[in-house]
Amino acid sequence: MTTTDRETQITTPPGEPTITVRRFFRAPPELVYRACTDGELLRRWWGPRRLEVSECDIDLREGGTWRIVHRAPDGTEFVFRGEFLELDPPHRRVGTFVWEGAPEHEAVETMVLEPFEGGTMVVTTTRHSSVEARDMHVANGMEQGIVESHERLDELILALQSAPER
Amino acid sequence: MSGATSTRELSDEQLDRAFGALSDRTRRAILSRLAEGDAGVLDVAAPFPMSQPAITKHLRVLEDAGLISRHRLARRRMCRLEPERLRQLSDWVGSYREFWEESFERLDELLEEMQGTGEGT
Repeated sequence: MTTTDRETQITTPPGEPTITVRRFFRAPPELVYRACTDGELLRRWWGPRRLEVSECDIDLREGGTWRIVHRAPDGTEFVFRGEFLELDPPHRRVGTFVWEGAPEHEAVETMVLEPFEGGTMVVTTTRHSSVEARDMHVANGMEQGIVESHERLDELILALQSAPER
Repeated sequence: MSGATSTRELSDEQLDRAFGALSDRTRRAILSRLAEGDAGVLDVAAPFPMSQPAITKHLRVLEDAGLISRHRLARRRMCRLEPERLRQLSDWVGSYREFWEESFERLDELLEEMQGTGEGT
């Protein structure tokens, strides 16, 4: 196993409000699907290590909803939610995705799992309402913790950009 | 905007120190002031209703966090913004890639564990 086998490929086609994340896993699709849809399993891997998944409720059926709460070390919480639109285990999962920090932006996430070289290739395409919404989503790193600082950081970055280069 | 950002530049300790430094309103105001250009310590302190030692303490926190540097210009003690650290923080905060790479590494471990115990195969 080399590290390139598990390289995460992220593509953001210019002019299209989508972002695609592609990653290989050395496990069969059934297992990967389960790890991505079972709340008790999902909470063990979703997000950076420094953020704790403090709540993870998944009603796994078409029309069912899910909700995940991330907690940063300083206690700040980030809430994500959505609804399952289409479930076809272990091949495909389609659902909406909303970060409650920007609830007006609802994205649709399509996850496709395909058997590939003894494991599974997972391709997740997220379609946003606009290219701007997508770019904001990427720029925010979804939430990536420390949002309190982040908002202030944004202000500083703006100030920096208008300042002359040294 | 295709994701590739240098997010591994800062250690956790550096991140904690930098975000800690940014968590204070006075220190953010000092950084905004310095974004306009280098300034003397007295000029930096002028807008704030606090003692010179208090301001000096804030400046030290910012300096330890790598957000500013201090130097002397003739007899004046000057402060300068170090924009590189802010850019590194911005990269770190804004890293979509890091979110997924770290998640997927954890998922790898979980999948290995699940298969190791004979589950789901």
